[in-house]
Parts: sequence; structure tokens; C-alpha cells
Amino acid sequence: MTPENLLVLATALPAIGFAIVILLGARVANEKVWSWFTVGMVGGSLVCSVIAYVNFMAGSGEPVSIAWNWLQIGVNADGSGRYLQIGPYVDKMTVLLFAMVTIISTLVHIYSIGYMEGDSRKTRFMAYMQLFTFSMLGIVLGNSLLQLYIFWELVGISSYLLIGFWYEKRGPQLACKKAFVMNRIGDMGFAVGMGILFFKCGGDLVLRSAESGPGIFGTIMDRLAIDPLNAGADNWWLTLAGIGLFMGAMGKSAQFPLQTWLPDAMEGPTPVSSIVHSATMVAAGVYLTARIFPLLTPAAHLFVATIGLITLIMAALIACVQTDIKKVLAYSTLSQLGYMVLALGAGSYTYAMFHLVTHAFFKCCLFQCAGSVIHAAHHEQEMTKYGGLLRKMPITAACFAVCTLAIAGASIPYTEMALSGYYSKDGIIAATVNYGDALAAHGMDWGKVFYWGPTIIAYVTAFYMTRAFVLTFLGKPRDRHLHDHAHEVNWTMWFPQVVLASFAVFIGWSFFKVGANIHETAPEMAQPFDPEHDLAHGFHFVHAALLHGFGWMISIGLGFALYVNGLSIASKIAAIPGIAQIHWWLYNKMGFDGLYDIIAVNLGKALSSILGAFDRYVVDGAVNGAAWIGRELGFLVGGFDYQYVDGTVRGSGRAALRLGSILHRTQAGNIRMYVLILFVAVFTGLAIATPFALGWVWFGLPSH
Amino acid sequence: MNELFVNLIIFLPLLGAVGCLLPRDNPALSRMIAMVTAVVVLLINVALAWSFYGEAGGTSYLPSGGESVVRYVTDLVWIESVNIHYLVGVDGLSMPLLLLTSILNVLIIAAGWNVEKHTKAFMSLYLVLMFGMYGVFLALDFFLFYVFFEVSLLPMYFLIGIWGGPRKEYAAIKFFIYTLVGSICLLMVMLGFYFLVPDVATGAAAAGGKPSFNMIALAADEGVQQAFNHGGQFWTYAKWFFILLFISFAIKVPAVPFHTWLPDAHVEAPTPISMILAGVLLKMGGYALMRISYPIFPDAAKWAWFGVAIVGVVSIVYGAFCAMAQTDWKKLVAYSSVSHMGYVILGLAVLTEAGRNGAYFQMIGHGISSAMMFFLVGVVYERAHHRDLNRFGGLWNTMPAYTGLAAVGFFAGLGLPLLCGFPGEVLSLMGTFGAIEWIENAPSWVPFSGAGSSATVITLGVFAASGVILTAGYILWMFQRVYMGPARPEYTYSGRDMVNGREYFVMAVLALFAIILGVWPAVVLDMISNTFNAIYAPFSSLASAAGF
Repeated sequence: MTPENLLVLATALPAIGFAIVILLGARVANEKVWSWFTVGMVGGSLVCSVIAYVNFMAGSGEPVSIAWNWLQIGVNADGSGRYLQIGPYVDKMTVLLFAMVTIISTLVHIYSIGYMEGDSRKTRFMAYMQLFTFSMLGIVLGNSLLQLYIFWELVGISSYLLIGFWYEKRGPQLACKKAFVMNRIGDMGFAVGMGILFFKCGGDLVLRSAESGPGIFGTIMDRLAIDPLNAGADNWWLTLAGIGLFMGAMGKSAQFPLQTWLPDAMEGPTPVSSIVHSATMVAAGVYLTARIFPLLTPAAHLFVATIGLITLIMAALIACVQTDIKKVLAYSTLSQLGYMVLALGAGSYTYAMFHLVTHAFFKCCLFQCAGSVIHAAHHEQEMTKYGGLLRKMPITAACFAVCTLAIAGASIPYTEMALSGYYSKDGIIAATVNYGDALAAHGMDWGKVFYWGPTIIAYVTAFYMTRAFVLTFLGKPRDRHLHDHAHEVNWTMWFPQVVLASFAVFIGWSFFKVGANIHETAPEMAQPFDPEHDLAHGFHFVHAALLHGFGWMISIGLGFALYVNGLSIASKIAAIPGIAQIHWWLYNKMGFDGLYDIIAVNLGKALSSILGAFDRYVVDGAVNGAAWIGRELGFLVGGFDYQYVDGTVRGSGRAALRLGSILHRTQAGNIRMYVLILFVAVFTGLAIATPFALGWVWFGLPSH
Repeated sequence: MNELFVNLIIFLPLLGAVGCLLPRDNPALSRMIAMVTAVVVLLINVALAWSFYGEAGGTSYLPSGGESVVRYVTDLVWIESVNIHYLVGVDGLSMPLLLLTSILNVLIIAAGWNVEKHTKAFMSLYLVLMFGMYGVFLALDFFLFYVFFEVSLLPMYFLIGIWGGPRKEYAAIKFFIYTLVGSICLLMVMLGFYFLVPDVATGAAAAGGKPSFNMIALAADEGVQQAFNHGGQFWTYAKWFFILLFISFAIKVPAVPFHTWLPDAHVEAPTPISMILAGVLLKMGGYALMRISYPIFPDAAKWAWFGVAIVGVVSIVYGAFCAMAQTDWKKLVAYSSVSHMGYVILGLAVLTEAGRNGAYFQMIGHGISSAMMFFLVGVVYERAHHRDLNRFGGLWNTMPAYTGLAAVGFFAGLGLPLLCGFPGEVLSLMGTFGAIEWIENAPSWVPFSGAGSSATVITLGVFAASGVILTAGYILWMFQRVYMGPARPEYTYSGRDMVNGREYFVMAVLALFAIILGVWPAVVLDMISNTFNAIYAPFSSLASAAGF
């Protein structure tokens, strides 16, 4: 089979798995059967992806772009339809990410079997995981913005279902809703960006040229002859479109200021966190930005880089003071995503994707380890209660240690031997040097901040990860009861951890291979930020900053020194006036949740109540008022009618009665009187009727 | 044969309505007659759609002999002195709505299977309503259309007023009078047609020849357009008529600010009637805009684009905010209809092909999703006897299978891709952005034409797109309050109270259609595009100017 068919099959398998499990459910088989069935489906996906990877890499490497008609938008003059299209696009990045996503998803599926043991809705959980995997693969395969958007939303809804999996509890309820709504804020930008490109590119949403047309890139660069990197002010729409699409990425990749949903998403079961924070969801935003990379104008680049920089600094600082192990990891993810986004803004398409891949493995592993600890600790997540778990859980501790080193960017100085995080992060820092230089060349000297920020935060990263490791696994047990009951997890849980940890070790070795593979697909637009150029600077810089400074060792040493005896030293530092306030501020996540509660949530609620009341009392009030006026008018007229019109009638009736009572005296059998009355009556009647009759004769009868 | 089918679709329900009344003291038989009628009409519709879909070209029909996409036409003189015809036929605009109506009719009679109060009258009135609905979608003569438009009104009045909730009388009379105001606007336009329209066949002025109410002919005829563009210098007849028609149909859609009859009508109406009200009756407004307002008054439509688009965007955003404010579950769903139908108005307003396709698809998609949402509410209401969102909770645990189907229904309402709510929304939105091109190049009497158009249109697009956030907000908040949380004993049902097979049938069929339409939107779009292309010819120059 061709790679594109294999990848379509790989995408379809989890969808089929989801449909089968949801439709047949518990009536047909027990949770054990279904769990392994879903592992089989995603495993099949993995096999397809790996074959596709090998085939594609062995082949010509020519990208495959296929577009199928899906949504008709109109009719051409010759009667044929015009369509919004979806379809697979396969290049080296696609096959690489398919391999990454399916490997991680398979391992998380296996891990879930152990972790979700005994949960009454385990089957459903496995089905949602299938849906999640399907959605993510759909994004990776997407050839058009429309397809990206479709699966974008499906990722959103599957994360909603997974984060809110334990919906009996209030926390998950709120977290899943928050995740979806905050993502939709980004999606609004996505929709607007898509709309602008739809209009500019003549109704074409396919990114790269396919048989049906030149695609968005082709249209903009060839037909409209715009070079996004030199786009002038009259091409502001391109900047707007780029930022709009990137807003979607900000939602999914939890970039500032849409970051608050990600830490809350910890309310979901830990396997969900491990997949959300690595291969799916947050990866989607970075992936989208990489896919639309050629469209980004310098202004958009600057926007992207700034957002990334803010996120990476902010999150790393917050991570330093959290005591919930999953929260630390969550903020660490945010920070690392900030690195990727910064790299994209700085023009290093290559290293952003490379860091995405390396980060996916070690972060997934870290979350699984954390999940194992939480599982062993009876769902206690506070690191203040941990300590000394190394002996109880050696495998988990070893995996956690390896991944901590990987995320810290550990390497052996003056050699090329290092763990995976080192390669990708240094590449990013190298790219920011170039970017800072480029900005400075345009008179923006402060551009250097794009380089100093990530460099300093690289030290901070090593520090807070060491802190987490030390507090959890080393030192004396701080909760005796918890420690006594802790135990190593079963194989379905430690096996995926070990596999992931080994990936975290060796995937960097294929640095040149992987790096070269990705950068070949980097668009020509990125030439000023040429990957080769990055590479050269990368090594130059490796020596300059991190290796030379033994940065990771310093931070790790500091982490050990501070936390090996628990929080005793740290809490003293945190009590120092001045620091205490900062600590409090960081501990409360810089107050964003409170701020958003006040601004967005309360404003939204207030607005909805105001508009609801407005609707009820003003708009509907006007309707009811009109009805009231109509009714009152009716009463008025009715009253008038009763009082006066009918009153006259009644009055005459009464008069007649009275007259009758007067006249009844006359009814004494006096015949002559009767005749008189009759005569008078007839005469009166005639007297009234005659003018009418004359009128009719004179003027003619009224016609109709 | 197909011509016969078209007439059968209209008159079989009427026959059924009489039939329902005949059996004495046997409500079950009445029910059965109604169901059989609905199923037969559904089958006829499917047969009709089958041949409609299969035939490439349309039967030529126009008095002047021109080509048209209308097929299976029956044309009989009804009132000769004023040239009113019984003119019915099918084109791409009517076919998908006919299918939607016929599918919903079967499901709604199934949903109303447990109506015990005056079953005979209920079913009979429902079939009269059916007669009116099919008539509206098939009539091609303006007067005939008006008649069916009114016919559908009266049964609805009784269906709400007799079988409704506590404030049923208020809701029924409000619905009736409000819609009647719209009908008066329609009547005024009809009188205008009578006096202004020249004889289409001979081209003679109205005074000498016979005026025409043939909507297809009116749209295509040059002389008619000229006649309408007379009147005041600025306030041409066409603009007056367009506005009057818009008010009339905006009430039916309903668009803000003409929408307040809807929440009351929905809240008081029994479940099946809410379903048909949201599922089909609102679509009569959108359909009428597409069939009458836009093709017959193209210039006025261009002139009015901004005003109409504002109505659409305000409906989307305002409806969503109002939905968020509700604590009555059914009212929330009712306001969501206002919000969702805003996309129909917006898609039409911007005069792009994508927008029109989106508007039409949104009507079909919303027909399925809103009917489903109302049924989902009804299922719970029948058991819990209240609809207060703040008192629910934990239904996911006590009614898992039902909640699974509810997720499909509500997520379709939320506009989730691969469900029926998505294609319409995204096409309307894309169409809105696509409008920049023609507005930029439009003559100066078009509002916001010229260079500044892009900023205006993008702003509209941003507001419309913000609807996706608000929709997610109110749907998910509702979902949280009703379905999530720990299981509660008061919402735990067993034995006869469990969701029964009939209810599962209705929900499952609707869910199935929600998925089919979402995954394969071509099933609707293929039918409509040729028709749009033909009857929106006055706008096609806009599209070609835009280069797509």
C-alpha cells in the first residue's frame, strides 16, 4: 500500500474501534476484552504508521497531496461544483508524527489498562481514548485548513469527554467545560483566519497544491505574488489571518493568555494527562503553526515569538512553587510548549517540530510515572506527602530520573552524547540567537530578550524538575502511612514507562537524521532561518551557553541541595518578606484564574443575565405591551360599545319596557286603543323608512 | 407519475386528517391512521427524491417557455379573474426540506404516541398541519403559498392551546397573533403584486393583462423587475416589498427582535409540537426568504445586505446569550434555535454561494438537531415533571444510553464537526468572508461598498464566529448541570419508567441522521446547488466578479 493509504487506514482504525466499543459496549464483552481490543486497534495503527514511515523514507520523499471534495460551496459556469476539500497530505513531518502519535497512544492505551483497573466505566474510557487518537491523527493527516479545523474540534470534544471522565466530581466537570470553552476562544480566531484565507484564495482551503488547485500557499505566493516575509502594510490581512490561525494554536497548545485550562485538565485520569501533554491536543497547536508556517508575516512571527516567550517564562516560574506533582508537570508542559512556539516565531520550524517529538516522549513518560506514584499513593497528589519512594518504586523512579535529565537537557560536556531534550532545546536557543540578531538588525535591540529568556529558563527547567524528582523519590518519607502502602505498579504500567524512557534516551541520537528529515520539508520561505544555519549556530551555541556553563548540572545540584530534606529549607526561603508575596502570587498561578473569573466568566454571565432580562422585559415586554394596548383598546371600545352603542339599544329596550308598563294599563281589552297604537306604530315606521326607500330609488341600490 | 406524487404529498395528509376523525372511541386507530399517512407520504417523498436525484436536467417550466429547474409541475387555474393558479412543483430548494419534513413527521407521530388527551383531534390537527407544511414547500404560486402559510398556522394554535402546558392559552394566542402580523405584511406584498406586476406572458401592464403570482416567473422576468424598481426615487417598490417580506419571514424564522413568541410557544407546547415547530415551521421562514425575497428582489437584497446581516449576527450572539441565561431547559433549547437560525439569515444576507449553501444546510441540520434536542428534553420532562436546570444532575449515571444519544444531539447543536450542525455554520461563516469581494466592487448604493468593505465584513465575521464560544458555553453548562454529577435517586428510573423502545427509536433515528448529514453533507448540497445557481442568476455576476 502507498503511504497515504496506510496513513488513512491508520487514522480510520481507532475511529472504527471507537464506534464498535461504544455501540456494542458491555453487553457483548467484558472490559478486559474491550481494553485489549482497543490496544489492538491502535496497535494496528502503529504498524501502519511505521510501515508508512519506512516506505516513505525509503521512497523519493516527494510529498503526496490529495484533496477530496467534501463541502460544496457553489457551482462553476460549466455546471461542475466547487468544493471545500479534505484529504491526506503526506510528507516527512506527517509520517514522523504519525509514528510518534501512534507509539505514544499505544503505550498510553496499555498504561490505561493498569491505571483504570477497577473503574466501572473502563470500557468507555478506552473508547474515548480511541476517539482521541483518531482525532489527533486526523489533524496530522490534514491537507486543508477545513480538515484541520474538523479534527481540531474533535480533539476538543474527546478531551472534554476524557477530562470530564469522572464527572461525578465537581472538579472534572468544571475542568472539561473550561478546556472546551477556552479552546473555542482560540477556534474563533481559527475560523476567522480560515475565513480570510477562504476569501483571498478563492474558496480554496487546501494548504498545498493538489490536483484540484494551487492551494493556499500556491495562490498567495504565485497568483497574488505575495512574499509573506516581506509583506507590506496593504497585506495586513495576511498577518491577521496568520494570527487568527495561530489563535487556534494558542487555545490547543495552551499558550498565554489561554493557558489556564491545561493545569485544570489534570482533573482527568492521569493517562489522559499523559497523552494530552505529549502526543495529542497540545501538540496539535504547534503542529498547526508549523503547517501554516509559510503564511506567517514578520509581524505574525513577532506575535508568535512573544506569546511563546511569555508562556515559557511564566509557566516555568509557576512550576517552581507548585506542590501537586501533576501541576508541576502541567506547567512544565506549558513552558516547553512555549519553547516550541518561540522557535516557530523565531523561524526555526525544524527545531520546534524536533522538540515536539522529543518532548512528547519524555513528558508522556513523566506523566505516566507521576500517575504510577499517584496510583501507588492512593490518589494523593501532593508532593509534600511523598518522599523516599525510590526504594518502593525503583522502575518508576528510574524512568522519572531519566526523563528529568532529558527535559533538563543533560549532556556530557564537550561531546555529542546527550539525552534527547538537549538536542532540541539547544537548537531552539540557537535559533533565538539568530532571531534576536535579525530583530536587532531592524532596530529592535530588545530582540535579545528572545534569546536570554529561553536560556535562563533552561536552567529553571532543570531546577524545578529536579525539585519534583527529589521531593517524590528521595529524602525521608513524609507520610508514613502512604509510604508503607506504596508499591511498584504492575507491568501494564511500568512497561510503557520503560519504553518511553528509552525513547527519551535514544531519540536524540538520530538527531541529524530526524532533524534533516524535517527540515527538508521546511518551506522555502524559511530560508532566512535556514535549518543548516540553525545547525551551525546550534553547535557554536551549545559550547557557548549550556555546555560551557554546565548549566544543567548547576540547576540539578541546586535542586538536590534545596529539597533533599523536603520542603524545610524552601519553606524558610518562601517565608522571607517580599519573596513570600511572589511565592503566593506564583503559587496561585499568577492570578489568571481569578482574573478570568472576574473578567470573562462573570462578565459573560452578567451579560447573559442582562440580555436575558432585556429579552424578557424589554423585547418581549414590547410585544406584551403591544398586546396589552390592543387588549385595553379592545376593552375601551368594548366598554364604549356596551355603554353607549349597546346602551342606546338597551336604553331603548328599557324605554320600551317602561312604555309597555305604562301602556299595559291601556291593555284593558280596549280594541280601539289597540288599533290606535298599531296605526301610530306603522305610521312612525313608514315615516322613518320612507326617506331610505326614496333614497334607494333616487340614487340606486347600493351595489357590491 | 411524479406529478401525481407531488399532489399526493399535499392532499394525503388532508385525507388522513379526515380519516383520523372517523373512528369512534378508538384513539389507537386514529393514531395508526396518522402514522400510516405519515409513512406513506415519507415513502412518496423518498421515491420523488430518488427520481429527482437521478435526473440530470429539470423539466422545463415557465409560462414564457424559458428553462427552469422546477420539475413535476401541476398547473391548474384556480381563480381565473385574478390569475391565481394552483401551481405546485419540486426543485432543489424544496426537495431536501420535503424529505426533512416527512422524516420528522413519522418521528413526531411516534413521539406523540402517548398523547392520551383527545388523541383523535390531536392526530387530525397534526395531519392538517402536515398538509400546510407540504403545501408551503411545494407551492410556486404566491397566493397559494400564502394560503398554505396560513393553513399551517391554525392547527398549531390549537395544538399548543389545547395540549400545551400551564400557560398554553397565552402562548398559543401570542404565537398566532404574532405570526398573523407577519401574514399581514405578506398580504400587503401580495396586493402590491396584484397592482404592479405586469402580465408575465404578454408583458402587458397590470391594468390590461392579468397579473401573475407565479414566483418562478416573477423572479426571472425583466419587466417585473422594472416594475418593482419604480416608485420613489430611493424607496422603490422593491425595497418596500423586501422589507415587508423580511419582517414577515423574520417573525417565522424567528430573528431578533421578532423572536419572543418562540420561547413561550416552545415552553408551553407539548414535546412533539415543539419538535415540529423547531424542526420544520421555523424553516418555512428561511425557505420563504430563499424562495421569494431574494430571487424576486435581487437589487433590494443587495441594498439590504448589511441590515439583514446585522439581524443575523445579532440573532446568533444575542440568542446565545439569552440561552445562557435560562434556567428552564426547554427555553434554553428554544433560544438556541434563535441563535442557530441566525446563521441562516447571515448566510443569505451576504449573497455568496457558500453563504446560501450554508444557510440552506443549516436549516436542514438544525431541523434534525433541534427536533432531537426538544425530544431529549421531553423524555426527561415526562419523567421528572420539571425542567429546572438547577435541579437536575447525574443523569449520565442513571440513564447512560439515553445520555449517549443526548450527547450526539446536543453536540450537533454545538456545531461539532461530523455532526449535522457543523457544515451549515462553517459554510455561512466562510460565505460571509467571501462577500468582501463583491461588496468591494459593488456600486455605491450598496452599503459599505468600496475599499472599506473588508474591515466591515471581517468584523461581522468575527462577531458571528464568536457564536461558537457562546454556543459551547451554554450547551456544555447545560450538559454539566443535567447529565454530570453523582447519580440521584429522584432521577433513577426503573420498570415502566425506563426509556422505552419507542423513545429510543426516535432518538436513534435522529442521531443517525445527525451523523449522516455531518459526515456526508453532499446528500443535501448536491440537490440544492443547481437550483440555487438557476434561481439566483441575478447574483451570479457577483460570484464571477469575485473570481470564484
